[in-house]
Parts: sequence; C-alpha cells; structure tokens
Amino acid sequence: MSRQERAAWLFAGPVLAAIAAMLVLPVALALLLGLTDYSIYALADLKNLRFVGLANFTELLATPLFWRALGNTALFAALGVPMAIGASLAAALLLHDATVRWKPLWRVALFAPYVTSVVATAIVWRFVLNTRFGLLNSALGAAGIGPVDWLGDPRASIPAILLFVTWKIFGYNMIVFTAALSAVPGELMEAARLDGASRWGRFRHVTLPAIGPTLLLAAVMSVAGFLQLFAEPYVMTMGGPAQSTVTVLYFMFDEGFRWWNLGQASATALILFVLILGVTAVQARIGRRYQWL
Amino acid sequence: MCDLPPCPDGPFRQPALIALDRRTMLGGAAALTLTACARARESGALRFWATGYEGDYSPHLMVPFTAATGIEVETQSVPSTAAHEKFLTAFAGGVLPDVFMLPSGWVGEFAMIGAVAPVPSPALVADTLPAARAIAQVGGRDYAVPWAIAPQVQFYRRDLLGAAGYDAPPTDWAGWLRMGSALKGRRPGEFVFLALLNWPDTLFSMLYQAGATLLRDRDTRGNFRTDEAREAFAFYKSLFDEGLAPKVLSTEVQDPYAAFAQGRFAVWPSWPTLLLDLHRRAAELPRERWGVARLAGPNGPGPATMVANSLCVASTCERPAEAWALVRHLSSAASELRFQSLIGNLPARASAWDAPQMADPVLAPFAEQMRQPAIAPPVVEWERIQNEVQLVAERMVRGGLSIDEALAAIDTRIDRILAKRRALVEAGRIA
Repeated sequence: MSRQERAAWLFAGPVLAAIAAMLVLPVALALLLGLTDYSIYALADLKNLRFVGLANFTELLATPLFWRALGNTALFAALGVPMAIGASLAAALLLHDATVRWKPLWRVALFAPYVTSVVATAIVWRFVLNTRFGLLNSALGAAGIGPVDWLGDPRASIPAILLFVTWKIFGYNMIVFTAALSAVPGELMEAARLDGASRWGRFRHVTLPAIGPTLLLAAVMSVAGFLQLFAEPYVMTMGGPAQSTVTVLYFMFDEGFRWWNLGQASATALILFVLILGVTAVQARIGRRYQWL
Repeated sequence: MCDLPPCPDGPFRQPALIALDRRTMLGGAAALTLTACARARESGALRFWATGYEGDYSPHLMVPFTAATGIEVETQSVPSTAAHEKFLTAFAGGVLPDVFMLPSGWVGEFAMIGAVAPVPSPALVADTLPAARAIAQVGGRDYAVPWAIAPQVQFYRRDLLGAAGYDAPPTDWAGWLRMGSALKGRRPGEFVFLALLNWPDTLFSMLYQAGATLLRDRDTRGNFRTDEAREAFAFYKSLFDEGLAPKVLSTEVQDPYAAFAQGRFAVWPSWPTLLLDLHRRAAELPRERWGVARLAGPNGPGPATMVANSLCVASTCERPAEAWALVRHLSSAASELRFQSLIGNLPARASAWDAPQMADPVLAPFAEQMRQPAIAPPVVEWERIQNEVQLVAERMVRGGLSIDEALAAIDTRIDRILAKRRALVEAGRIA
C-alpha cells in the first residue's frame, strides 16, 4: 500500500466503520429478523423464536390490509408527488417573476410550514378540515359546495391528508427550484423572447431543460418521501376511517412497535425498500434518457 | 415536579420526507434530549409513568410522599393512545421507569414478557376490591396493585331527556332505542349517543351484556359467530343506521365535552374520569343538567367493560424497596380518596368506599356497576383483538360488511392473531 493509499484509508476508515456499524449491520440484522417469527412471545423468551424462512412474506402477501396499505401508499405517491412538485414549481415561478415585491418575506412565509412541527400543524389542520366548523368547508359552502366529511369519509380522507402534506412540504422544493431558476441563463431567455417564443414556449424549451436535473432530484426525493408517509396519517386519522389512510409504513409501525411482531414488520420494511429502490431506478433511467444525469 | 423535557419516544416517528437535512436536524435534537434524560436519571429521583388524567394529576400525590420519605419522584404523563407501544419499546430498550401504571388488560402481557415484578407482599393488595384484584392477577399471582377502578356507565343530559319525557335513560336496549328515536325526533339535526368508531369499549360492553363468550378452544380461537355476539352487533349497528350515533372517529371529535355541553348528543357512555371535566368545566354544563346511570343492557343492566388501572414496579428497577413504598403510598386509601376528589377516579381499596365522600349519589351507579364486572379473556393479544374487532365493526357500520360477514371476518382475524398462541398452547409451552 502506498503512502497515499494509507492516508486515504485513514481518512475514510472511521466513516466506513460508522456506516458498517450503523447502517449495514442493522439492515442485515433486520433482514435476518424478517426470516423469523419474532413476536411478543419471543420478547418474553427467546426460546419461542423460530426460523420460518419466507413464511412472513407469503403471509404478508395473503394479508388484505397489507395490499390495502400498498394501494393507499401508491395512491398517495401517484397523486402527492405531482401535487407537491407542481405546487413547488408554481410557487417558485411566481416568486421568480421580476414584478414580485418583498420576495424574502414570501419565501419565509411559504417555507415556514416545512420547518413547523408535524404534530402541531396536523392539529391545526384537523380544525381546518372539521366537517361542521372547519374553514375549508366554510369556503366550499360559500362556493355552493355541500359540506365534505374530510377526515370521516373513507373516500375523502386521502385527498384531505394530501392537501395537508402538500401544504406542509412544498416550501422545501420551492426553495430548491428558486435556486435552480436563478441559474437559468438570462441571455438565452432574452434571445428566445426576441425570436418570438411564447411564455409557454420559453418555459418548455428554456426553463425546463435548465432545471431538469433539479426537477429529477426533487421527484426522486418526493417519491421516496411519499412512499414513507407515516406521521401525517398517524396524527390526523390514526389510519382511519375504516383503515383508508393506512400506509405501508403505518402498517409496519403497527405490526412492529405497537404489537411487537418484529418478524413481519422487518419483512414489510424489506418490501418497501425494494419498492423504493425500483421506483428510483426507473426515475434514474428516465433522467438519463433526457441527459439530466 | 420536574420540568425536564420528556425522553424521546422509542420509535422514530418523523417521516424522512427529505431525508438528509432533516435527519441532521433531528440528530441534533435527539442528542439534546438524551443528555436531558441522562441528567434526570442521575438525579436519583424515582421515575413514574402514567397515562391520562392519572398521569397529569399524580404529581399532586407525590408531594406528601417526597415530604415523608425524602425520595423525589419524576412523573411523566404518557398519552394513552401511544402508551402500549411506548411501554413495550421502553421494556425492549431497557428504559422502563421504576413504577408505572398499566390499564387492566395489559398486566398479563407485561407479566408474560417479564417487564413487571410480582407483588412482594400480600399486605400490598389486602383490602382490595375483588374485581380489581382479579384483573391485576396472572395465574393466581399478584403482579400489580390495583389503583383505581372504572366501570363504564352512561352520562346523560337530564334536561334533554326531560324534554322528551324521560327522567332517566331506560335500562334495556329496546327502551334505549325508543328514547333515542324520541330525542332524535325532537332535534333531528343532533345525535343522541356518542360511540366513537375507533374506541372499542362501548361495543365490548354490549357484547358482555349480551352474554357473549368471545374466545373458545382454551382461548386460542375467535368465537364471534354466536347468537349473543350477533345480537350485540345488530344493536350496535342500529344506533348508527338510525342516525342516533354519529359515524365519527376520536380524531374527528376535537372536544367531545363541548359537544356534550352543546347538546350535540345526549347520552355518553364513559368513565368516572369524565367527572373531572364535568366539575372543571361546570360553567359550560351546570350540575343540574346531567346525570349518571348504568348502561342499558338487552334486558336491564348487565356486566359492562371495566378498566382497572394498576400500579406496577418494573422488574429491572434497581431500588425495589423505594419503588414499592411509592406504590404503597399511591394506592393507600387516603391517596385514592384524594385522587377521587381530584379526577373522579374510583378507589380500588375496599375500605376507601366507607369514606363520606363516596356517599355522593352521583357515584351510586358506578358502585352498582362495579359489582357486576366483565372480565376479558386473559390472553396477551387482547389489546390487539379489541382493536381488530372494532376495525371490522367500523367497516360494518359504514356499510362495507353485513353483520354475519363482519363476525366471520373477526373470527378469521382473531384466529390469525392467536396463531402463535395456539401453537404454543398445543406444544404445552403456555397454559
């Protein structure tokens, strides 16, 4: 080993050791746990622990609630990612406009929900979404739309939570997009305008390619985030009504920490991991096709 | 009382929406809280956890204890909706407090996993109401000292019932329904009963009243496809079908007390601790406008759900003598009576019932109901089974399932939950 190599290992060593101890090892252990029937009986006496192979996975696939949780999560991601990114991009574009005044103030105001506690904001939103006295239903009522039982109707609960999540998180990507927008070359924009490109044309052919990589990053992060949705349904609805807002992570939490079926919870975690990996790989492929990566 | 921040909940509750930077922030926050916890442990105070009003108000009981013994007690009030996982995680992580309060159904579970120490002296549980003591026993051995006993009863709006011609709610189901229709007829925009769709207590009271035996085969299988269970489910469903009870979850009702005071519903099956709200917020609902009665049963009052909170000492506690001294103090007749006047909780000590304050006529229905307790099957999965039953019942109420489909679905779910227990019973490893 050359001196340089030794120095490199010396610097990287502690980090690698930390990663191995805190990331690789627990993941490997969780994988092993997923092959056992670790339950509350095993917590009482380890002799009750059995190695069950893939039984946890076959049992999961036969559990209706797991499929329901998977479906709910897919719905959250499919609707939530475009909603959140669309809101972020729209807000960033509005703020980027030269005619907007007091930009820092707007930025802070729109970013504030992101850094506020989930629990506190969820409680406020529970009031906003209240069927009888809620602000949202009052506004809808003024527009002539009858009251919606946002958190009590199994069909309205997912949109209600999506509304809250979007409001909560769009500020972060808005800041990211604002940074990306400021890097769009002004002379290109100018040239496009002189050539007679419309507003939409300038956005489609100048802005979008320039912020493409940022958009991809935001999409990857948002998808991973939505697939791991937990705190919002936990605080707002506790998975209800009629388990219509149980997500995969919520299901895993319930199985693992509430009922202490760690074997099955680990198996769920593994499935979720594979899912996120798969979706991210697809996104990366799309990104490469448009030469954003 | 100690003003340190609470120790972090075991599981990681925040979603990693934007994983990187949030994790960094949380890491910093966690480190801060950890140092605070370590400080609390070094200070030499006994740690005590309780849920609900018991947790909120127990510091009042600690003052005389600290004055008499010089032992500081650090109380933490744990939210009841997250208590089960918090206690289990604390046990797995080896950070259970010295003394903690367990609701009735959990004693067996925590005794089985070895989290609680058996009661060292019979003197600690002498003079306890038999129903409360039975709930705190596992296999004939005392694992907890009963602290309070809470039978489910109905609180009703005297004025609203009176306007419909009732002095008190009828004690049988048919009469209850008739009264419900009469009240609904007078005020169609409001409801009559409050039975939250994610709280199983009321449904289980109905099951016990109907005389259902909920498990079979040495408590290893569900037994819901019976006439008794069908009767209870049909009655439960009819409350919602006829618009007498709102189809709401606890997360939707921000302030049930205010709703009761405003007359949004007139009958509220609830617990003695509601007396605290009724007392504290008497300005919203004066004393003469409400009353208490036993829950209606199919043919008159019967056994109903009963919660008996018990005090346990952790098996890992390093100062058992001091911990048991605290339990003795908290469960003394004097402390229990003090708690009764503070939060409405009913004493589990038999002799405390002779005190003059217990002669208040408001407490009479509780005392009567207490003599007819319903004891849940002693399986460690009971908490989960109750949850699953309620989830299926919710789907039934919302029209997703018929009564028979719901009962069949419940048996399937219970059989699945009890699969591990069944295997262990068949192998002779547990009774």
